[in-house]
Amino acid sequence: MPQDTPSPIDLPEPELEQSGLGWTFGVIAIASLFLLCANASSLRDWIDDQPPSQAQQQAAEYADQWVDTTEGFGIGLPHKAMHDQWKRAEEARFPGSHRKDEVGEGADQ
Amino acid sequence: MLFPTLSFGLFFLVVFTVVWAANGSNEWRKILLLVASWVFYGAWDWRFVALLIVSAFLNWGSAELIWYNREGPARRRRAIMIAGVTGNLLILGFFKYYGFFVEQLGDVLHAAGYARDLPLMQVVLPVGISFFTFQGMSYLADVHAERLAPAKLLDVTLLMSFFPHLVAGPIVRGSDLLPQFEESPRLTRDMASMGLVLIVWGLFKKAVVASELSTGLVDPVFFDPASHSRLDLIAAAYGYAVQIYCDFSAYSDMAIGIAALLGYKFPLNFNQPYRAQSLQDFWRRWHISLSSWLRDYLYIGALGGSRKGFARQCLNLMLTMLLGGLWHGAKWTFVIWGGLHGGVLAIERIWDRIRPEGWPRLPRVLGILITFHIVLIGWIFFRAESFDAAIAYLKGIGTVGVASDVLTPLACVLILFGMAIHFTPVNLGQRLALQVRLLPAWALGLLVGVTILIVDAMRFEGVAPFIYYQF
Repeated sequence: MPQDTPSPIDLPEPELEQSGLGWTFGVIAIASLFLLCANASSLRDWIDDQPPSQAQQQAAEYADQWVDTTEGFGIGLPHKAMHDQWKRAEEARFPGSHRKDEVGEGADQ
Repeated sequence: MLFPTLSFGLFFLVVFTVVWAANGSNEWRKILLLVASWVFYGAWDWRFVALLIVSAFLNWGSAELIWYNREGPARRRRAIMIAGVTGNLLILGFFKYYGFFVEQLGDVLHAAGYARDLPLMQVVLPVGISFFTFQGMSYLADVHAERLAPAKLLDVTLLMSFFPHLVAGPIVRGSDLLPQFEESPRLTRDMASMGLVLIVWGLFKKAVVASELSTGLVDPVFFDPASHSRLDLIAAAYGYAVQIYCDFSAYSDMAIGIAALLGYKFPLNFNQPYRAQSLQDFWRRWHISLSSWLRDYLYIGALGGSRKGFARQCLNLMLTMLLGGLWHGAKWTFVIWGGLHGGVLAIERIWDRIRPEGWPRLPRVLGILITFHIVLIGWIFFRAESFDAAIAYLKGIGTVGVASDVLTPLACVLILFGMAIHFTPVNLGQRLALQVRLLPAWALGLLVGVTILIVDAMRFEGVAPFIYYQF
């Protein structure tokens, strides 16, 4: 930083020599592709939430097909399993708790 | 457009690619970033993009005038600076405080027997206005004090509009960012590694910890404290302390990380605030960009700090914190929150002065516990809808009844987790980044993807706006 304000970006060891741009593009591209395969339903839900138009309907169709494809290979299962586990943790109550169990309703649709 | 959403993720992928593709020309790069920032801001309300531009023109023009007159009388430069700061305050005052002051004036007139229909207007609050007006004011003060030379219009506009910090900080000063705008940045592995660590960590804190505590515990209890037990009230107060930290620090972390991926360095904004041993220490760790802004430009710059005697120093502390409270919003609960902090800061100064020679200092653990609980009481006022609601909440804690309606094992774990992260090694994130930078791109890409997938599996359905968006 140009003044005495510390930035967390300045690491406490000497900088690596290699340029980081291509490396960062690689990291982001791999992470995006991974999520596109392992979490296809998020993309479908996002497209479904967009204002209706011809392009949106077309994209929604492709997204549905893509979700079917990834589910066919079982790629989306880990995400679903983790989500179900998390919902069980949310629904857990202390013994004797008075609370009606409404948090998890409809969560696993 | 919220950071932890797919809309923002796609927006950022486009901006990242386009901006680095244009890195050969720094001017074009900045123009693209500016347009991207306006698109980002316009996603809330396009009308307020014009406000951003007007505000940038005001500050750029005032700074140019100050600099043009730098050989002239000091009074003239000061008058221009005050006029520029007043312009910023008028913008802030109109959008943020108009309704509040008209309402208070109406109450005063009514109490004095002069009931009048005052011109009430429903003024829409532009997102992040407190942040960019404070940026503008500090830019003018820095140019006036010749700590900073005036920058080009493009740079000033980008400084105020740059989307990572635009809506909820950190308050990045001109002296932090303008020198970085002077040439095309270089993205190093260090910057990218730490940026990615901060983005993923911020995503976890916001989407999992803050959202879960907010929806499952804090919101229901603060909405209707009277129908909850003492245990619920206590748990929700602790829950809110963790929620507001995980929410606000998450935004800062993601903002710093996103800026780093674009090649810019933002200052630290949070440093494990709940391990503070005094309130003075707390303000060196919490919202550092605001507390240092208030210290430099208000407490020292405008009020004189400790230069006018001890009594005046304590008064200045109180005034600074009262105005710091009001900065958060036009509500008495924020003023009381600021007053509590100002009062305790003044008491700490007085105690330092009168403490008898040889008296032992508070043990560290006791100092942390006392400070945290003062902060906790402040958060109840900060979160409550009104002063009466905050008092009712505090009274409720004093009643009997420990049966809980809303406290769950998961909420307990998240509260403990939110507290525990304050007592980890200070530079844990940086140490992680030092390891991460050595990984090949494919391995880190998979690691980032898997971590985001886990966070997505745990997140509450939908994403609530960040708490500090309203400020």
